[in-house]
Amino acid sequence: MAKNRPSDAGDILQGTLDLLILRTLILGPAHGYTIANSIERTSENALDVEQGSLYPALHRLEDRGLVSSEWGVSENNRRAKFYRLTVKGRKELEAATSRWRRMTRAIGLILEEPNS
Amino acid sequence: MGFHRFLDRENKDRDLAEEIQSHMAHEVDTNLARGLSDAEARRQARLKFGNPLAVRERVWSYRSLPLAESLGRDLRYAWRSLRRTPGFTIVALLVIALGIGVNTAVFSVVNAVLLNPLPYPDSQSLVRLVLFTPQRTLDAANVPEFNLWRKQTSVLREVAGYDTGGAGLNLTGSDHPMQVQGVHVTHDYFALFGAPVIAGRTFTKEEDSPHGGDVVVLSYGLWKQRYGGDANIVGRTIQLDHTPYLVVGIIGRNFVTDNPADLWIPYQFDVNNHDMAHYFWVSARLQPGVTVQQANEQLKLASDQFRREFPNAIGVQNRYGVVPLKEWTVGDTRTPLLILLSAVVLVLLIACANVANLLLARASGRKREFATRAALGAGRWHVVRQLLAESLLLSVSGGLLGLLLGYAGVRLLLSVNVGGLPRLGENGSAVTLDLRVLLFTLGLSLLTGVLFGLVPAISASRPNLLASLNESGSRTGTGFRSASLRSFLVVSEIALALVLVIGSMLLIRTYLKLQAVDPGFDTHNTLTMTMSISGSRFQTAAPVAQMIRQGTERIKTIPGVVEAAAGNGVPLQGAFGIPFDIVGRPKGKAPFTGGAQYYSVSWGYFDALKMPLLRGRTFTEHDDGSAPGVMIINEAMAKQYWPKGDPLRDHIQKAPGAGPIFAEPPRQIVGIVGNTRDAPNRDPFPTMYIPIAQMPDGETALNSRIAPLWWIVRTNTNSQAMVAQVTSALREATGGLPVAHIRTMDEIDRLVISQQRFNMLLLTVFGASGLLLAAAGIYGLMAFSVEQRTQELGIRMALGAQASQLRNMVLGQGMVLTGFGMVIGIGTAFWLSRFLARFLFGVKVWDPLAFVLTPLLLGLVALAAAWIPAVRATRVDPMTALRLE
Repeated sequence: MAKNRPSDAGDILQGTLDLLILRTLILGPAHGYTIANSIERTSENALDVEQGSLYPALHRLEDRGLVSSEWGVSENNRRAKFYRLTVKGRKELEAATSRWRRMTRAIGLILEEPNS
Repeated sequence: MGFHRFLDRENKDRDLAEEIQSHMAHEVDTNLARGLSDAEARRQARLKFGNPLAVRERVWSYRSLPLAESLGRDLRYAWRSLRRTPGFTIVALLVIALGIGVNTAVFSVVNAVLLNPLPYPDSQSLVRLVLFTPQRTLDAANVPEFNLWRKQTSVLREVAGYDTGGAGLNLTGSDHPMQVQGVHVTHDYFALFGAPVIAGRTFTKEEDSPHGGDVVVLSYGLWKQRYGGDANIVGRTIQLDHTPYLVVGIIGRNFVTDNPADLWIPYQFDVNNHDMAHYFWVSARLQPGVTVQQANEQLKLASDQFRREFPNAIGVQNRYGVVPLKEWTVGDTRTPLLILLSAVVLVLLIACANVANLLLARASGRKREFATRAALGAGRWHVVRQLLAESLLLSVSGGLLGLLLGYAGVRLLLSVNVGGLPRLGENGSAVTLDLRVLLFTLGLSLLTGVLFGLVPAISASRPNLLASLNESGSRTGTGFRSASLRSFLVVSEIALALVLVIGSMLLIRTYLKLQAVDPGFDTHNTLTMTMSISGSRFQTAAPVAQMIRQGTERIKTIPGVVEAAAGNGVPLQGAFGIPFDIVGRPKGKAPFTGGAQYYSVSWGYFDALKMPLLRGRTFTEHDDGSAPGVMIINEAMAKQYWPKGDPLRDHIQKAPGAGPIFAEPPRQIVGIVGNTRDAPNRDPFPTMYIPIAQMPDGETALNSRIAPLWWIVRTNTNSQAMVAQVTSALREATGGLPVAHIRTMDEIDRLVISQQRFNMLLLTVFGASGLLLAAAGIYGLMAFSVEQRTQELGIRMALGAQASQLRNMVLGQGMVLTGFGMVIGIGTAFWLSRFLARFLFGVKVWDPLAFVLTPLLLGLVALAAAWIPAVRATRVDPMTALRLE
């Protein structure tokens, strides 16, 4: 199966994936399927990972207290577990976002240097 | 975060599974909406999601405690691996269990007997009052001394006197009179030893003065046994020798005394009593901050004062002093303790060497296994951890087995020891498994396991996989270094075991020699028992002699009884010491001619014990109160005081100047009897025998008060069978006096050397365990080496070697190691045995028997241990052996 990557691939992107999940949840509570599709859409399929690898990340975030969860009913009228950003999660997202910005700017500067 | 994530993992996993299902359902919904078929919709959903199980596993393992998880796995694997090699596992387990068990058992007993402080509050400050003389230290006291010591309040407090515990009392007033141990004590006694009062009170100072009334304090045991634990007994009276005594209190269960006590009675000393006879003990507490040395200095001054007040009472060189009670009770503990500790260390060393050896052998045999595992991707740490898990499993299970063994061992040691050791408590209840020793030994075996599991593990996990895998030599040899290390371990084991066994052999020989010492009389078919005669009937010599005459005559009518007699003591049990003068002999500056122990006896005494008469005559029934005073002395006294002269020409003044109750005219020496053995390893004491009918009345009253009357019955068959007849005859003849402490003379004989027996037993246990461990070591090494050399042996056989040649080759290698170990062991034992010298009797420290017999024994054991693998070597099938690789 071509799509079957080593499950470790998720670990490389872990920090990014966490950030993307938190970013998605800032729009409001969502269940796993919505989060997965939303990440897929917004990242223009750039992060080509199995949707399954979302779940370890979600549970890790929950254990760290950055998101909370509860069972509810989805728009399809199915039982689904909804995740919600906690106050701590919101702060973490802000911190991570600014960290991420600083880093991408630094990388950008380094990569652009020869041209300038 | 937090620990809770490790808990409740199953529930969370179920939750996740449901969540994944929900995710898939949504995906399928979407796919169906895109117009896919049901089957295709599901297939694509699965593809997109990936493996749900893998997701669940990742979450699960992230929620787990990685170390604990893999530890569990390692332990499970270790268990399987140990089970595959039952021979190794059983030997290793036994070695560890034996090492831990034996050490723990022996140390627990020794701890209770020698190391534990006395079972009294603040026992460090308790001291025994003694008289230091140039020859020895005496601990018996009299009233003037007691008064003197009580006045030394600057260094002493709670000065209390108490019985030496000899005389019994008869609990009367019911159909079943009973002899009980009544201990006379001064009123400070209970405070001094911190006796717990559970009902009523102890004696007041008034009750402990002359005419203070008849009061008694009961022990817990007697209270439960005789009075059913009825607390209302306090305030009522009980009958002791037909005299009513008021019960004032009861002492709690945990109060342990040197001599067993059923009840306590106030001493009621007359402080003006100037008798110089010593008949009780005095202990006290040092004042806070006062050292033993300070107390001794103060008491030295008091001795001078005493000498001025009572001229000639104590010699010029004698002085009073104190000895810490613990030291006095258990004696010098250092040397025996050091010997014991060395034995413990030796057994431990052997056990550790053994465990190390076994683990090394096992690990080097598994080189290929580790290499294979490493090749399959197991990390170095994995392999090391695996070996550690095995060591851990072995040590812990061995330790548990050792605990059981130790418990059984303690019980065994106690059951073998019959009443010979102080402070074991009732039925050895004072002895508990010593947890510290147990933990220490367990820790040590763990350490050994880890250490010797680790060394080969690390070398085995070295990443030189190719060499290890290619090494076809893995079955032909195990590398010179590890083989020589193991040989070294076996040689040390044998040497250490030899030292232990030689030590125990010396003690066994000592014990046999002690047993063979002629006690000086015939111990067989002789029954002894004690009778308390402390009642008012027996305050003068005549009624005592009359009662003995009636008793012996009555006993002698029993068929099978040859002779019966009575006295204030029997041989082997110790007697009272007393000074004497030889009339007409100048004594220079000394206050007396000398000192001797004495027995007051009925005339049949020497015949009943079959003591040989060497000169003169024994007593007859005519040596009574109206006849001239006579005495018989023993050979030791004759030799010491009449090296040339004739004792039978001389008169003896017994107890000169000892006070009015001892006053009597000089006695003619009429006979000399053979010596009896009084202490197992000492020369016989000078001894005087005096007709009990001729004792001064005052001394008779004192004797009746402080010591029981001993009956001796010689029978012509097994005397044990006649106990019932003798006791009922005595009860009838004496007007209902009960007897106690019924023992044969053989039993007493055994009891006297029980300390030596115990020493011997301890070291024998150590010696035997050492021998066993060493044998296991030799067996393990040889068996392993044969297994490792299967291929070599097969080739030799294929080339025409005879079975016997192969066997002898293996045996020879085992015996060379044994020989090395024995040479070292004999040298070490020779050097060490000097420390045992003090405990030996009749055996030289270089006893040839011990030094020849022991190596022979060890050699035989080693031969047997090497024999099994040697025979196995001859059964190697060349074809199988060559095809093995």
